Amino acid sequence: MLNTALDFVRSSKLVMFASALLLSVVLAAVFGPIISPWDGEAMDWEALEAPPSASHWFGTDLVGRDLFVRTMEGARVSFTVAIIAVTVSLCIGIPWGAAAGLIGGRTDQLMMRIVDGIYCLPGILIVILLVVMFGRNQYLLFGALGAISWLTLARIVRGQTLRLRNAAFIEAARSMGLSTSHILRRHVIPNVIGPIVVYTTLAIPGVILAESFISFLGLGIQEPDTSWGVLVSDGTQTMESSPWLLVFPGTCLAITIWCLNTLGDRLRDYLDNRTTHRQSS
Amino acid sequence: MHLRRLHWLRLKVILACIAGVLFTAPVSAQVLHIGNTGEPQTLDPHRYNLRLEETLLNDLFLGLTTFDARGQLVPGAAASWQVSNDGLVWTFTLREGLQWSDGTPLTAEDFVYSFRRLQDPNTAASLAYFMYMLNNAPAINRGALPLEALGVRAPTPTTLELTLSQPYPYLLERLLYPTAFPVPRHIIAEHGDDWVKPQHWVSNGAYVLTDWQPQGYVNMASNPHFYAEVGISQVRYYPVVNEQSAYNRYRSGELHAIGAFPIGELDNARENYADALQVSDLLSMMYLVFNTERAPFDDVRVRQALSLVIDQAILTDKVLRSGAKPAYSFAPALLAGYDAVELPHQSQTSAQRLAAAGELLQAAGFNRSNPLKLVLKHVNGVENKKINLAITGMWRQLGVQASLQQAELRNHFAELRQANFDVAWAGWVGENNPEHYLTLLQSDIGNVNYGRFNSPAFDEILRDAQTMASLTERNQRLRQAEALVVNDYAVIPLYTSAVRRLVSPQLSGWYPNLRDVHQVRYLRFEP
Amino acid sequence: MRQYVIKRLLFAAITFFVIVTVVFFLLRLAPGGPFDGERRMPPEIEANLKAAYDLDAPLVVQYGKFLMRLVQGDLGPSFKQKDFSVNDLIAAGLPVSATLGAAALVMALVIGMSIGIAAGLRPGSAFDGMLMTVSNINLAVPTIVAAPLMVLIFSVSLAWFPAGGADTAWHFVLPSIALAIPLSADIARIMRGGMAEVSLEPHVKTAHSKGLPLPRIIYRHMLPIASTPLISYLGPAVAVLLTGTVVAEQVFDLPGIGRYYVQAALNRDYTLVMGVTIVYAFAILTLNLLVDIAYGIIDPRIRVASRA
Repeated sequence: MLNTALDFVRSSKLVMFASALLLSVVLAAVFGPIISPWDGEAMDWEALEAPPSASHWFGTDLVGRDLFVRTMEGARVSFTVAIIAVTVSLCIGIPWGAAAGLIGGRTDQLMMRIVDGIYCLPGILIVILLVVMFGRNQYLLFGALGAISWLTLARIVRGQTLRLRNAAFIEAARSMGLSTSHILRRHVIPNVIGPIVVYTTLAIPGVILAESFISFLGLGIQEPDTSWGVLVSDGTQTMESSPWLLVFPGTCLAITIWCLNTLGDRLRDYLDNRTTHRQSS
Repeated sequence: MHLRRLHWLRLKVILACIAGVLFTAPVSAQVLHIGNTGEPQTLDPHRYNLRLEETLLNDLFLGLTTFDARGQLVPGAAASWQVSNDGLVWTFTLREGLQWSDGTPLTAEDFVYSFRRLQDPNTAASLAYFMYMLNNAPAINRGALPLEALGVRAPTPTTLELTLSQPYPYLLERLLYPTAFPVPRHIIAEHGDDWVKPQHWVSNGAYVLTDWQPQGYVNMASNPHFYAEVGISQVRYYPVVNEQSAYNRYRSGELHAIGAFPIGELDNARENYADALQVSDLLSMMYLVFNTERAPFDDVRVRQALSLVIDQAILTDKVLRSGAKPAYSFAPALLAGYDAVELPHQSQTSAQRLAAAGELLQAAGFNRSNPLKLVLKHVNGVENKKINLAITGMWRQLGVQASLQQAELRNHFAELRQANFDVAWAGWVGENNPEHYLTLLQSDIGNVNYGRFNSPAFDEILRDAQTMASLTERNQRLRQAEALVVNDYAVIPLYTSAVRRLVSPQLSGWYPNLRDVHQVRYLRFEP
Repeated sequence: MRQYVIKRLLFAAITFFVIVTVVFFLLRLAPGGPFDGERRMPPEIEANLKAAYDLDAPLVVQYGKFLMRLVQGDLGPSFKQKDFSVNDLIAAGLPVSATLGAAALVMALVIGMSIGIAAGLRPGSAFDGMLMTVSNINLAVPTIVAAPLMVLIFSVSLAWFPAGGADTAWHFVLPSIALAIPLSADIARIMRGGMAEVSLEPHVKTAHSKGLPLPRIIYRHMLPIASTPLISYLGPAVAVLLTGTVVAEQVFDLPGIGRYYVQAALNRDYTLVMGVTIVYAFAILTLNLLVDIAYGIIDPRIRVASRA
């Protein structure tokens, strides 16, 4: 597994570059607040909206808090949101898709019709509605974002499962009388892990963007906590008078999304090529 | 016969309009474009709820009293008035020859009808209580008495008599609100609830509604039957919620005047739009309210401690920098004829106050190992976020851990009315009348007393004041009530808002004023 | 084929009914009433208001009334916009949103397909890499940042376009571009994949060897096959567009239903939220149905699958 990952990273310069860039953002998010002398919640009445300087690397925000620390704390929250939401979507999407693919028949039809039905909903608008109705609960937000993004995954997993269902080794396992859940765990899931990793890589940017959209409407993470979405949408409100409030968090956000999209794309190509090679050899 | 007369009237209106357009077109064909702070929910003056609707209604209707160009109270549809010695009976004499915009004469009966309509349970007016001082009004609004029992009558077509249940010396001020505007009874009889549609519209203000594209704009044209001259024949109000887009649309020349622009752009505007910038005080009070029913905010020591460390001057001068003025009393210092009572700790230095606050919190059982934790709720928006963040920063010096929760304006106040908060930011844009502020803390006023503050002594003084017809005596008594509240730290006064507008220098007659009212009829395009 | 269409229609109808029902009950569960104004309201007045909007009836009765009206195409009165019915509001806002969405979709298709075709003709080339990098960067800049920046540059500084409103076609240019950019990046990726795949097909190679002009090969031999995956993308794209119109309408002050949706959700205007959701669901379901049918016509496998 680790070898595969390393092979992938070495596969092209672009992948190496994107991996390195992503890694540095993650490292900054983890260690940045520790290295910086500033506390993310301390307000400096003498340096409100101060431009970047040697002491405040990214400048300060509207109430004099260090923007570098805020941005890195925001990174932690944005990553957490993304990871929780994607986990929720994995938890729903994989069993759903696998079950539909394995059981087949009418059940499969019905389950996929439900997916089609939910696919039609403007998911993010439902999230808005939920947040408006039931208050700004962070966990509600994470869960709701996850709950609307499992559909693609369920389709991918079902497709893969269908492909595998009639494969020789599954037939063999079934003839040995192994239970469905055992077949799922031991044979199906390991085979669909590749597409799932690709999906996850591409889903994280989606969730981060969705969170920023919700923050733009003022429904996202609540102060004093922050996220990239909150920082960016606040930044757009002051982009003329203090552009650094938009530029720094915005750049971090854009870099991360670009890295993840690029990596996801390349990983898909890489996995595709590998399977083709194997099949042909 | 009746029908024919209507047709004839309509024809006359159309002719008048055509004539108006033909003859005034070369001089003032220019349309005035104004950015309003949001979309009106209604243009029915008896069903309105929001300040941004008042702006439009002030152009469309004319009450008994009205504002002049500088926001001062002047006679409107009433030319003069008298009040009885006991302060209970007010007699208004209407202007001669008043007409609706379709040419129908406007009489005192129209006012009687309108005051009754406001209290009619079927109107379901949410601000009906604005006129509860009229005799029997609350009972009528509950459906317990017939409409005819209301303390309003028209002895002659130009005389209107209002009878109150208690003296109310601020009545003339209260009549400025759209709840006291007359509505066209003949049109409502014909079209019912659809009378507010542009195609049926009739009103008595300087302008009439000609078009309303929801979320797009509200278009008005001058009313040919209005008693005074107006300088601008067409106005278009746009709902611009976002301050940044208001600012953009002003700069791109699409709007002549905007209600607000981003606070961070103030310095920039001072430099580049000095001739358009208008920063002025708004008669208002922004304050923090404690939920006095919820521990530990029922403890006056906790409230006092949290109040002591707040530095209003830092909030206004460093954090907001919007021209807002620090407030140290609950009734705004801007009120005319009233001397507000300031917070008792004003004379202490900030170090003294911090030390005293620390002791108070300690005494209330909070310390470093058991810090006070609270949620501060506020309305969304850059400005409010800034203020409330800064407040949590000030409390942080005491070791208080405060987190913020923001909500959209209406939802925020809905939560406040349900007393669902620890500490909350609140604001009140009131009349030129201390009572309008102080009653917010009266225990039996209802859910507008967000913190459920309950002080029998305060209530008693207030009730006593409400029986007084003399303004000076009444205000003096109110002052005693305010002194009580200040010592109980029921609220923390923060600041009085400042309005920051950009108004095109092409426009004359737009004067900054305490009420931030700018009727279009006083405006002119500079030649 | 007819069976397939009927099945799809039935499915769409059921989905629609389920969505409508779920949204109705979800909104009634919400805490807080629709009449929470900024100023105080004595209980007797609140009672008057509730009676005026049928809110004092039992939930099932309210639901029944709502369904009866819906069948007649009546979405009821707006709780907050007292002078308009929900139908009035949607009639005013839908043309704006639909124009915006359609303009953005066309723009996204033109831009995305051009980039995708150019890149997919020579997959792996430097040109391909550059185009794909650009489209990835497009995807990385959220509309909430791109849109306000565009206003600052093109409306305030250059004064080429108005900064807000929907009075003329000119007003729609900036918002449609803002909306089309991320969508075009998606379309470019899909198109590129399709083109790369189809260029390996024998009949395309034959066409090349016959020396046919490139535009003809692309148009006649490659596009019909390469754009099939694009059609199935159009369904979800509608949902993406809807979300986008919400942002664009906020930033550019366009009076469309996306703006109503947000305002109504924030104001707890139950009936308006429901009305807009119903319109959205209806639009998405109809478009998906069309896409499904188109797909069924193009791809014979689906016809077989539906019969099996």
